[in-house]
Amino acid sequence: MTGPLLIVGEPQNGHLSGPTLEAITVAQTLGGGSAALVGFLAGSKARAIGVEFGRFGVPRIAVATDPALDSTPVAAVASSVAAAAEQAGADMILVGGTTFGRDLVGRLAIRWNAAVATGVTEARRDGAVVHVRRPIFGGRATETRRLEGPHFALALRPHAFAAPSEAAVSPAVAEVPMIPIPPALLAPRRTATETTAQGTGPSLGDASIVVSGGRGVRAAENFQIVEELAAALGAAVGASRAVTDAGWRPSSFQVGQTGRSVSPQLYIAVGISGAIQHLVGMLSSRVIVAINSDAGAPIFRVADYGIVGDLFQIVPALTAETRRVRAA
Amino acid sequence: MPDFSLSAEQESLRDLARKFARTEMAPHAAECDRTPRFPEEIYRKAYDLGLMNLNVPAEYGGSGLGVLDQCLIVEELAHACGGMTTSVIANCLALEPILLGGSPEQKDRFLKPFCAEYQLASFCLTEPSGGSDAGGLQTRARREGDHYVLDGEKCFITNAPHASLYTVFATVDPNLRTKGITAFVVPRAAAGLTTGKDEEKMGHRASSTSTVRFEGVNVPVEDRLGEEGGGFSIAMRTLDQTRTPIGALATGIAQAALDHAAAYSLKRQTFGKPISEHQAIQIKLANMAQAVHAARLLTWHAAWTIDHGAKGTLESSIAKCFASDAALHVADEAIQTFGGYGYMKEYPVEKLLRDAKLTQIYEGANEIQRTVIARELLRQYA
Amino acid sequence: MEIVVCIKPVPEAETRLRVAPGGQTLDAEGVKFVLAGYDESALEQALLLKESVPGSKVHAVSYGPAPRTEEVLRAAIALGADLATWVEATAGSASDPILAAVALAGAIAAVPHDLVLCGKQAGDDEAGLVPSALGELLSVPDFGSVADLRWDPASSRFKFLRSTEAGGERWEAPTPCVIGLQQAWNDPRTAKLPSILKSRRALIAKRPLEPGAGGPHSEPEKFELPPPRTGARMIEYKTPEEAAQKLVRILREEAKVFP
Repeated sequence: MTGPLLIVGEPQNGHLSGPTLEAITVAQTLGGGSAALVGFLAGSKARAIGVEFGRFGVPRIAVATDPALDSTPVAAVASSVAAAAEQAGADMILVGGTTFGRDLVGRLAIRWNAAVATGVTEARRDGAVVHVRRPIFGGRATETRRLEGPHFALALRPHAFAAPSEAAVSPAVAEVPMIPIPPALLAPRRTATETTAQGTGPSLGDASIVVSGGRGVRAAENFQIVEELAAALGAAVGASRAVTDAGWRPSSFQVGQTGRSVSPQLYIAVGISGAIQHLVGMLSSRVIVAINSDAGAPIFRVADYGIVGDLFQIVPALTAETRRVRAA
Repeated sequence: MPDFSLSAEQESLRDLARKFARTEMAPHAAECDRTPRFPEEIYRKAYDLGLMNLNVPAEYGGSGLGVLDQCLIVEELAHACGGMTTSVIANCLALEPILLGGSPEQKDRFLKPFCAEYQLASFCLTEPSGGSDAGGLQTRARREGDHYVLDGEKCFITNAPHASLYTVFATVDPNLRTKGITAFVVPRAAAGLTTGKDEEKMGHRASSTSTVRFEGVNVPVEDRLGEEGGGFSIAMRTLDQTRTPIGALATGIAQAALDHAAAYSLKRQTFGKPISEHQAIQIKLANMAQAVHAARLLTWHAAWTIDHGAKGTLESSIAKCFASDAALHVADEAIQTFGGYGYMKEYPVEKLLRDAKLTQIYEGANEIQRTVIARELLRQYA
Repeated sequence: MEIVVCIKPVPEAETRLRVAPGGQTLDAEGVKFVLAGYDESALEQALLLKESVPGSKVHAVSYGPAPRTEEVLRAAIALGADLATWVEATAGSASDPILAAVALAGAIAAVPHDLVLCGKQAGDDEAGLVPSALGELLSVPDFGSVADLRWDPASSRFKFLRSTEAGGERWEAPTPCVIGLQQAWNDPRTAKLPSILKSRRALIAKRPLEPGAGGPHSEPEKFELPPPRTGARMIEYKTPEEAAQKLVRILREEAKVFP
């Protein structure tokens, strides 16, 4: 009734990326068993990395080994993906929703005539219809979309799924026929690859994560532990009025009634009591975490998660754990 | 049936003013009030965006807006800061006499270069001896051949220390009272024109106010607007145009007060619940909302009346008088809603009361507005 | 250079989200739709490019229903776009991003386009599908998540950073191409009052959507808001490290907000 599922792999440091593994998880659920799963990789290292699909019970992989695909735009890979799907008889393609995955799915919508969605956090198949859930409006709402086939391609929101179950097999490898790459797609050139350097963080207005420090930080020189946590999270830095009044940070940092209003996905309030002047500046954040030594602090009434404790111990631990998890 | 909806163009103008007000004015309102500081950089930005010289036709380099369009903009600016708004619209007040009383040649000569770059102008009518009693003004204009010589003193003049152009009302003969008053355009460079120190005001502290002294200031005849004795009429017709936007300014202050009070009432908890659930506060907010709503609609109606060619004296006096009284009352109630916090300068509401107060006094004190309303009203029954 | 900018009217950031009767979509009653977010940055980038390459034009294109779509196109003109084209949608159908791409591609194919600039994703549905779908439809290379876009006249190529999870890649590409802009590192200008007044009289070209356009269907089925807050869930721990681990796990797996 439903066809095989093609999981498009994205390499990261010579292995299948985390988002790819999450795509396998979803495939295992939707596919109704490993038998129907097919992994896909493109490029000169496709075979070498492709065998990792076997660790999760994926019995077949399709590889497009044209070395040119190592350095073409994502668009060139789309043709091979579509060809692999045709070859495998797949009717659904899953991919981790990274920059690569999202760009791929848009191409597949046209090239493979597929119903598509990105940022998917849940997917359910109902015969010839797929229902997906995804966050919208910066996470302030969730929509369920109805996709009508016969083809589907989903880019899954990274970190929304657990790791796939393991079951070591040795996947059968099928070579995807080489597809000539149109000259237009060969013209762009990648000239360099960079790894993330935490320079200036995002601005308070744009950031999807904000870490703010308050009076509990006690002194100007201590405020940097807030900034280190922000840097580890790729977050913007904010402050309560107490901090800016004391001159520990400029008033441009101030979040609150007489300062900035923010509504990020995640707001971490460090040493902030939660007086109303501050709350009105951040209450529409989707998730609020409060860290404070005072269990009765008003901020705990509005936060989603709270840690009562010494921020000088909790925050550095949080920074270390964040760095560890993000590097993995 | 009247259509109360705004056109898409009007919405765009209001959005522009709102964006400017919220991003450029509001963040500096408290600081400019506290210090006090005349934020020239903000006024320059207002000029760059076309938010100054709103009443001057486009052919002279202004924005050429009708009264209702001006009101939409003024209310948004005043929501952020009444004082800054007073300084931004002071140009409209100062240039209106040229529009009403100037010859085509004068409009060209004065308005085009003025509007071509950032400049401020001041409307000089009020004197130490009288504001409401404008007819009794004392500044003398003595004709000497091809020019007049002006002597006297004006006070409480908005933007005076920073202006490059002054429209001045002086009398050729004090015994003639209103019939002697004559209007002139005087550049800052005129010898004998000096401005005094910035007055320390209760509110509108981002606006600059001072005396303007005329000591033997020579004004060429070509710079007289209209005829000798025609100045009082120019002044009154000017105020007929600018009165309604003051209603909008007051409405903006009142709306800001209501916004603060309503938002606060939802968050502040006493006796175990948000104060918005206490009837005392609900009744307060309801009365405030009625006042703001009425102020805005009276202002819009007066503006619409004038834009459709009527003099609109009754409507604009009602709008200015009602809106300014409303602003004071709503700001007062907003402070009361905040309780002790409302009394603290750290919170934004006490400034609103100080700013609202001036709207009852300037551009025609409300006592005068009431005599005008009575006069216009009784005319209908005569 | 002929620059096409694709823009979408989206609810302004301060909108209080409400569920429409029927539960399928946002309640658009009283909602103000504006040019915002990445689209606003994209238009600004286009205007900056136009200013730096003499003889260039910026053509704003949008797909959506009346009156919001016409309004954002006028806003684009007020900001400096030279031309505007509107492909009108009936109210419901505007929510399918692939249909939007097909509509936009039809309009773009009919006009000169050295560069097609889009925001990386719209502020409402955040699908991010239009740039790559446009690339496929127009048969040109596309790059989503672009930052630091520059034009190099010496080589007649665009040079930019393509943001990836690992960091980024530096690319150069000739015209024509489609760029989904993530970070413009510019400060979008504000339209001046005289330009706003002038934009009201500007001519906006209208294009019909080809009948039968768009392929497989995707439509909204349910629109949900998160439940209201009820007080923090306190995290128990014995060591700070344990607290940190628990919190990070919750943020990743439960709240799904960990980066």
